[in-house]
Amino acid sequence: MRRLLFALAIALLIASTWIGLTQGQIVPVQRNILYAHVPNSVCALLCFVVLLAASIGYLATGRQGWDLVAAASAEAGFVFATILNATGMLFSRAEWNVWWTPSPRLVTSAILWFLYAVYLILRVSLPGSRHRNPRICAVFGIIAFLDVPLVFISARFIPDIHRPNFSFDSAWQTAALMLGMAGTAVLAAALIWLRTSLLRSRLKLEEELLQ
Amino acid sequence: MLNVCSITKTFVTRPVLRGVDLDVPEGQAVCLCGINGAGKSTLLRVVAGLLRPDSGSVTINGHNIRSDPEKAKRQIGMISHASMAYPELTVLENLVFAARLYGVPDRMERIEELLTGAGLMSYRHDRAAILSRGLLQRLAIARALLHRPTLLLADEPFTGLDGDSSERLLAIFDQFVRDGGTILMTTHDTRLGLRCCRRVAVLDKGSLIFDAMKEKIDPDRFADDYLSYARGMS
Amino acid sequence: MNDLGKGNPEFRICDFWLGLRAIIVKDIVVELRARQVLPTMVVLGMLIVFILRMASESALTGGAGPVLGAAALWVAFLFSGLLAQERSFASEQQNGCIDGLLLAPLDPGTIYLAKLLANVIMLTIFEVVVVPIVVVSFNLHVTGGWLHLAAVLLLGNLGISSVGTLFSAAVQLTRTRGSLLSIVVLVILMPMMIPATFALLVLFGAMSGQTQTLASVQGSGALAFVGSFRAAVGYMLAFDAIFVVASWLLFEFMIYD
Repeated sequence: MRRLLFALAIALLIASTWIGLTQGQIVPVQRNILYAHVPNSVCALLCFVVLLAASIGYLATGRQGWDLVAAASAEAGFVFATILNATGMLFSRAEWNVWWTPSPRLVTSAILWFLYAVYLILRVSLPGSRHRNPRICAVFGIIAFLDVPLVFISARFIPDIHRPNFSFDSAWQTAALMLGMAGTAVLAAALIWLRTSLLRSRLKLEEELLQ
Repeated sequence: MLNVCSITKTFVTRPVLRGVDLDVPEGQAVCLCGINGAGKSTLLRVVAGLLRPDSGSVTINGHNIRSDPEKAKRQIGMISHASMAYPELTVLENLVFAARLYGVPDRMERIEELLTGAGLMSYRHDRAAILSRGLLQRLAIARALLHRPTLLLADEPFTGLDGDSSERLLAIFDQFVRDGGTILMTTHDTRLGLRCCRRVAVLDKGSLIFDAMKEKIDPDRFADDYLSYARGMS
Repeated sequence: MNDLGKGNPEFRICDFWLGLRAIIVKDIVVELRARQVLPTMVVLGMLIVFILRMASESALTGGAGPVLGAAALWVAFLFSGLLAQERSFASEQQNGCIDGLLLAPLDPGTIYLAKLLANVIMLTIFEVVVVPIVVVSFNLHVTGGWLHLAAVLLLGNLGISSVGTLFSAAVQLTRTRGSLLSIVVLVILMPMMIPATFALLVLFGAMSGQTQTLASVQGSGALAFVGSFRAAVGYMLAFDAIFVVASWLLFEFMIYD
């Protein structure tokens, strides 16, 4: 079942890239990186929502499965956030000749990356009991999620002189974008699923080793 | 008055308590023995509400420690290895702080009563940092009894005490039981434990393997090697 | 001692205040007597201001004073604030005192609020010493009024303390390095820094144009901000409210094992 998901994701992504590069090419050519940038930003946020849900689930039920989903979605989200920031910087350099500037979108992307990074560091660095560490990470997951809308609003204090102001003027482009989003979302789901079961089996192995 | 029901607790992958059941009626003093790592301190901490078990429940006079912590905790006084005293505060200040935490109504009179009873009157303005182990233990007991608890939990209370201090502690425990209180204590020193407790229990690898009244056991053989005694009996 | 169980009244609301006040007073007395954290905080704050002042010497011409001053102030605040947060549960580590707090019939939320307020008080003491030093070093003119400045600093204080107290419990009680607390608090507090700096710049008279307290201002270059002072303060208020409430609710998950 998981392989189907991965296959579907790759198919959608290939379709999106193909359409994007042939029929739906945006002029000038460097803007095509948006096909990678936008779906990644949506996915990075989506993974955060999953992280929030898993954190709340863990605190409410205490079941370890939720904690594993949280860890997996944090890792996936971190990857998406990294790609998001990288493509964003490339776009910004191509479009406005600066690598980075404190515009609201870029600030939000940066902080999203930092939130994921700190979450992952917390997961790795906290020693101690089996119950407290996932709980601490879960609390951080919730607090971090509360931070995201606040980042968005606070960034409004910075003048957004770099607002991208073009729209998609052909159905092909919209199609390519939608396919890209769908593909990335499915990829995210598949990755989280895969990572969760990998973590689960590793945990089982460790437990058996200690018995 | 104390109902411990099927308590399980696992630390990382090591199970420390496996389904422990214990019922203690009012006015009884129970001595819990076991080797290091058997789970005695863990069980005591679960009863005190300091540790949350994986499963099971603890009820004190009908109040569940998890769902009704305020009423349940008011009835518990605890002594453990650590004195729970702030080194920068004086003996008196430590007790005043504890009295405020528990909302003791007649704060100053009660503190005076306990200071006299524990023999700490002359030390009351000394900072806890300079007190000896014996004096700290006395402070811990005064703190535990401040709010007039009905259940006293004592985790290895005789450790590090000389003969005199141990006798003093035993006297306090005896008085507590005479006044109708319940005691659950853990100790390695079974002779002292048997002196003040009417009931003994042995915890081994997280399970209660032995539980009997003092009259039913051979105190000398038990004091010599309670583990094999208990294992032999079960 | 023969009146067991009789001294156990039902829980009263005044017990909450009694417990709260008891912990706050205890925290402050312990800190004043230990004399460890407060002096360190103040000296660290002063050092940070000093270093930033020296580092920005060449840039201080051309009206960059307020910008650098505001930045120095918040950086000093954040890093010294982190020290304050760390201490709030460090004192409970010794002698198993944290057990003493957890044994008591107190709601964990009460412990959180008490620790939070104690931290806020510590940071305020720090403010009183270090803020005048910043004003003097960077030659700032508090045209917006000292009262407004105090209010903005209080809001920043609450923000740092709210998240700091919550995670300090986690970090201290699991015996990890303090740097872990730093990254957690800094990342959560990042968004608040933008309107916070903006508010300070308005108060230091750096934003050009109209009356600084109410109107919409728009700067340029290093002072590129939009919005009004009211919006900035409103944001900080909302930020504090959200995180104090969230931390208060989530605190019990941090301290129980």
